[in-house]
Amino acid sequence: MLKVAIVGCGKIADSHVLQIQRIKGCDVVAACDQEPLMAQQLSERFRIKQYFSDLTELLRNARPDVVHVTTAPQSHFDIAKLCLESGCHVYVEKPFTLYENEAQELIARASEMQLKITVGHDDQFDHAARRMRALVQSGFLGGVPVHMESSYCYELGGGSYATALLRDKRHWVRRLPGRLLQNIISHGIARIAEHLKSESPHVIAYGFVSPFLRSEGENEIIDELRVIICEEERTTAYFTFSSQMHPSLHQFCIYGPKNGLALDHDQETLIKLRGSRFVSYAERFIPPVTTASQYLGNLKTNLKTFLRNDFHMKSGMKYLIESFYRSIVEDTPVPIPYREILLTARIMDMIFAQLDQQLSRGHAQQGVQAVLTR
Amino acid sequence: MKVCGIEIQISRRVSWIIHPPTDEHERLGNPKEDRYRIASCTEREDFIIGPDDLILITGANGFIGARLVESLLNLGFRNLRCFARPTKAANAEAFGCNTRPAARIELIRGNLLSGEDCAAAAKGVKVIFHLAAARGEKSFPDAFMNSVVTTRNLLEASLRHKCLKRFVNVSSFTVYTNAQKPGGRLLDESCPVETHPEYRGEAYCYAKVKQDEIVKQYGQSFGIPYVIVRPGYVYGSGKQAIPSRVGIDTFGVFLHLGGSNTIPFTYIDNCAEAIALAGLKKEVDGEVFNVVDDDLPSSRQFLRLYKRNVKNFKSLYVPHAISYAICHLWERYSSWSEGQLSPVFNRGRWHAFWKKTHYSNEKLKKRVGWTPRVRMAEGLNRYFEACRNGKLHA
Repeated sequence: MLKVAIVGCGKIADSHVLQIQRIKGCDVVAACDQEPLMAQQLSERFRIKQYFSDLTELLRNARPDVVHVTTAPQSHFDIAKLCLESGCHVYVEKPFTLYENEAQELIARASEMQLKITVGHDDQFDHAARRMRALVQSGFLGGVPVHMESSYCYELGGGSYATALLRDKRHWVRRLPGRLLQNIISHGIARIAEHLKSESPHVIAYGFVSPFLRSEGENEIIDELRVIICEEERTTAYFTFSSQMHPSLHQFCIYGPKNGLALDHDQETLIKLRGSRFVSYAERFIPPVTTASQYLGNLKTNLKTFLRNDFHMKSGMKYLIESFYRSIVEDTPVPIPYREILLTARIMDMIFAQLDQQLSRGHAQQGVQAVLTR
Repeated sequence: MKVCGIEIQISRRVSWIIHPPTDEHERLGNPKEDRYRIASCTEREDFIIGPDDLILITGANGFIGARLVESLLNLGFRNLRCFARPTKAANAEAFGCNTRPAARIELIRGNLLSGEDCAAAAKGVKVIFHLAAARGEKSFPDAFMNSVVTTRNLLEASLRHKCLKRFVNVSSFTVYTNAQKPGGRLLDESCPVETHPEYRGEAYCYAKVKQDEIVKQYGQSFGIPYVIVRPGYVYGSGKQAIPSRVGIDTFGVFLHLGGSNTIPFTYIDNCAEAIALAGLKKEVDGEVFNVVDDDLPSSRQFLRLYKRNVKNFKSLYVPHAISYAICHLWERYSSWSEGQLSPVFNRGRWHAFWKKTHYSNEKLKKRVGWTPRVRMAEGLNRYFEACRNGKLHA
């Protein structure tokens, strides 16, 4: 029986405990939060035997096999490092760390200690994403991907998270190097990183504060981002993050030399994009029918999965956690390769470095304009 | 007088001697004297603090908070500290600074999750009206953090300053379990609260039960005098148009679930005054007060009036036996499927929201001398009119 502990008892910790409690062969034995009331509420609601406000005390008394780090990203590195040094396997919520060098250090430490570590990119493990991965691995694309398009949007208009962030100038998200983007985009970047072969792709990022946020008096939080990622004369990718675009997409398209695939995370649909064309007018009549039948097929699959009682909102998280635990118990490879974790961190570092330059250039220009108008 | 099909009686009876704080205030007059009680000299002697003692109101720019500030000013209190989240909407003018030049209204912007902000807010305060809450929050941890952790911070801060005479905790009817009694019985302050609020599937309920618990715990352990006020459904515009006790439109069609149930309405101004009085009257420490108005309408009556006065729409009446069965089945399925559908509908919620129940405001009337000054018909009329006009306040 794997003994699991949760560190950080905020919103996402609920999802972790709910999914872990659905997995056989493991038990959540302790919860920890620097605010004791938060640790207490999680342990009360989920019948967790022990709760702590001090991580070292948890590691000493509860002696967990696996620790899930669900705190704010600023603390991921220190907490994960301490857990590894105490001999625990670690599941870190996204974003894995603030910087790539921290990610490298954690992975090196885990390998050194013969422990496993993973990141909570659970969107890559929902039903449709798994079907997509299987098709790519079966050679459906007809070769190495030529191009990818990943959209990962976030609606800032409503919701308590957005409201809290916009109102509170001391909010922890504002203290992240990549601010709002750092807390959200890793899901969308990781989808691209999964299919890249190069260790250091070329990244061109352009970001800005949307007119909506500017009208709210906000000029720090970049909420519109466009990125081009390219490997030397091989695969290219576009990444889009937007808080204003509607529909607010969570999609991933991948195009190979022969065929393509389109994944919609919100609808859990996967559509095969046929590379060949029909002749003449047939191209205008047959594809709509075949695409419609594909959507019907997705509906049928989703219904069946629901009736099979495996269509939970966080089904991807359950699959990822289960796979991670299996890799620990059977000493098999982790579900997310370390290379992919590092590449995601590297791309994010490159994006934020470019955005910082743009911001400082923007501030300098504003300063010059202010002097000129004086 | 008949307006919009509703028989209304506006009480213009001024039963309290007006003692404005200054001559200037008297000259300006009180524009809302029909809506508010003005404290008499004798009543002021029944208060635990004097008119110049400092009062803190958290959530002061909220739905009830803004009206509570007005109520306190009308009761003659001149030294208020309004704690609000840092939004653009909160400014001193919003709290009546312009109309009451004699009053000192201090606006503090901050976050109750910050111990420093709480310490600054509680400094020198004699009475705290704690209204800030995580209303509408669907996540349990977030609701808990913004209700319980904030309340604990405020209690800790007041312990440090050692001058607090009363902590007024504004709770909710949602904390009552209402399960262990047959339908149609009275729900009052003696009724039990949820012992397992986590099973109600409602983050707000969980947070409010735990908030009440921590207030009582600090009262017992550290001797902080407190009063808990539990308003029913506070109405007035700027809120969800139709309370879920009447029905829900989750599934695309409005399901009328209340039927002949009485709905525990309290008009915003009445509620604010009840909170003010419960927080200020002597000899009520440690008490709980429910706030509901008189002449409560049934769910059916309210829905009919709403359709006639605001907007007509189709609704489907779901008898109590069927709504109970659906809630039960939903709860069972949610448990069996390990949360594939979250347990938002369950028997606990049905008992709390849709079971036939009567309500009482006797304790509030007897112990603090409150009466609902805006009658139900008048309150509904103002509310419907505001809904039609799309105004923020009735």
